Amino acid sequence: MEIMDSDRNTIKIGDYVVVQRQGYTKLHKLKAHSKLILGSFNIEMDNIVNEKYSDTFQMKNTPGNKKHYILEKVQQINSPVETLNIEKSGSDNRHITNDNEISQVLTKEDIDKLKDEELNSNNIVGQLVNNSKTFSMKTEYSQEKYIKKKEKKYFEYVQIKRPTIRILAQMFYRQDPTKTLGIRIDDLSQILAYANIHSEGNVVLYDSGTSGLMSAALMNALGHSSTGQLIHMHPGNECQRNAFIAMQFPKEQSERCINVNLYSVLRCFYQQKNTFQEQEEIEEPEAKRQKTEETSAQKKSWQLDNERACKILNEKVDCLIITAKEHPVNIVKELIQFLNGNRNLVVFRRTQK
Amino acid sequence: MSFDGYKTLIKEGDVVIVYLTPSQIYSVEALPKITNKKGNRVDNVFQTPYGALRCGDLIGARFGTKVQLSKGWAYVLQPTPELWTVTLPHRTQIIYTPDISMIILQLEISPGSVVVESGTGSGSLSHALIRAVKPHGHLHTFEFHEGRAATAQEEFKQHGLSQYVTVRQRDVCERGFGDELNDTADAVFLDLPHPWLAVPHAIRALKSTGGRLCSFSPCIEQVQRTCLALLKAGFQEMQTMEVLQTQWSVQQRNVPVVNLEFVRTEKAAGEAEKKERETAKAVVAVPPASLPGHTGYMTFATLPPLWARTLQMSLNETDIDAEGDAE
Repeated sequence: MEIMDSDRNTIKIGDYVVVQRQGYTKLHKLKAHSKLILGSFNIEMDNIVNEKYSDTFQMKNTPGNKKHYILEKVQQINSPVETLNIEKSGSDNRHITNDNEISQVLTKEDIDKLKDEELNSNNIVGQLVNNSKTFSMKTEYSQEKYIKKKEKKYFEYVQIKRPTIRILAQMFYRQDPTKTLGIRIDDLSQILAYANIHSEGNVVLYDSGTSGLMSAALMNALGHSSTGQLIHMHPGNECQRNAFIAMQFPKEQSERCINVNLYSVLRCFYQQKNTFQEQEEIEEPEAKRQKTEETSAQKKSWQLDNERACKILNEKVDCLIITAKEHPVNIVKELIQFLNGNRNLVVFRRTQK
Repeated sequence: MSFDGYKTLIKEGDVVIVYLTPSQIYSVEALPKITNKKGNRVDNVFQTPYGALRCGDLIGARFGTKVQLSKGWAYVLQPTPELWTVTLPHRTQIIYTPDISMIILQLEISPGSVVVESGTGSGSLSHALIRAVKPHGHLHTFEFHEGRAATAQEEFKQHGLSQYVTVRQRDVCERGFGDELNDTADAVFLDLPHPWLAVPHAIRALKSTGGRLCSFSPCIEQVQRTCLALLKAGFQEMQTMEVLQTQWSVQQRNVPVVNLEFVRTEKAAGEAEKKERETAKAVVAVPPASLPGHTGYMTFATLPPLWARTLQMSLNETDIDAEGDAE
């Protein structure tokens, strides 16, 4: 267990990592010689390989190539708020005129030049302050705010984190709430609680587009080395599984999530009962048995998934969750037959009617 | 014994939820006889507004079915932590499901996690924590009140959860969580009057690979002091929030529609003055007139793993200085 733990703490090629710069986070799949575009920065990621999660790295300019940065592990962060010495502060804003052209001596070109020489928030913010005609007239509160705002813009450190449901839920919602059907972290937490999700039981999820957040959160709550299974029904050909892949569940765990198409699995349930219902044990002639084994080998993986799912549905499930873009009533009516008595149903929909 | 895993039939001694209406939910024990206040064995009969329920008769019934009462019927349900939260006997102020679910997601608890909780209180949160960590995780819960600690212990046993939880009676601010828990916890939950005193103990209990912490306090002054203590200790990703649940009321409303078209043209001769008033009918969701009550502020933070701790502490010093300047 300990060995596995230390292994999980090392950043490896193939990992999904979360890169955080100030309040901004981005999910990145780490490949050999991969680059990450973070705002206006183009960052080469090679130097984080074999380092540890939660480590902090400094973005360093590469000579001759603007906006191209490499990462260097650091043990210390120099923050402008700490290093800048503010000598004079104003008491109010009566003498400050709001004209950026005049108050800041440095032009955009000057600042870009500074940035391209060395991305150093300390130095840049210091220059900005020194070349500002109005800075010393600002109140100390507004001076602090100014420095923090500028520091944010030129901050040269990133932290690497391992994705968790909390981080993913917050990141997806911030990037674009429609990509998770508007499910915010409090919505997600209550869906999991009221659905009574824990390590045992079979869960059916119908999800029409949360970037895999729902299936990932459910699988995470069902846990590793446990018995709980998840049938993830989706409306399209391929299910969305960004978040699910990012969680990098162990194989044993991710295999307990069966992804099936809603229409195709129901068709299988109604029209091909023989494929999943327990067959009467009949002594088959050897030749025939071989033949059936051959046909099952020829089946496509989605057909096998359908059959696996139908087998579970046939024995009824412990929880039904619907997070749908569509009007949920017909979906609920259809799927509720698979739910055991005294079990939980949660339906989530953003819009009111 | 009815809390551990999905059950079909009610067994003797099970806690059973009697569900009448959304606001009338009770818990009873499926026992034919109980001991009353005077120490006598009497029939275990539960009085509801719809008639009496003989709790012994529930044994053998299926969870999720209806039982007949003299003036109506009730559903008998298997308890979940959510149902338990609304029916449990209060010994203290309790934490409710919207807060509980946020705590579990934010603390990143999943099966296998080791969680430290202080204080146990009425066990509302504990039941949800146990559900989240079992089967191979564990909850260590601390309560300084002797009676409450003993009652909680007894309750977990009765609910069949003893193997997943250890109850200890201790004042953790003074004495910490104990050396046996050093470097074992994935998450620490603090619901204490002076949570900042327990922060150093929490750091010792959390794994060297880091972990999450939550402090639940009703007053913002407590939050401030706790945040400062957390900053000083090198925690990161600090976030304080409160979860407010609003209940929208669904109503049928008539909305008057004003039509002003007719004023543009002259009235044709002989046409009677029409009353240009129509109403549109609609089912609407009306927001509550006042905001729902405050329960508590939850402060979440991450303790970085050992190798990243010193860096975070040096970074936090700035914030502490800035805080000091502002005062």
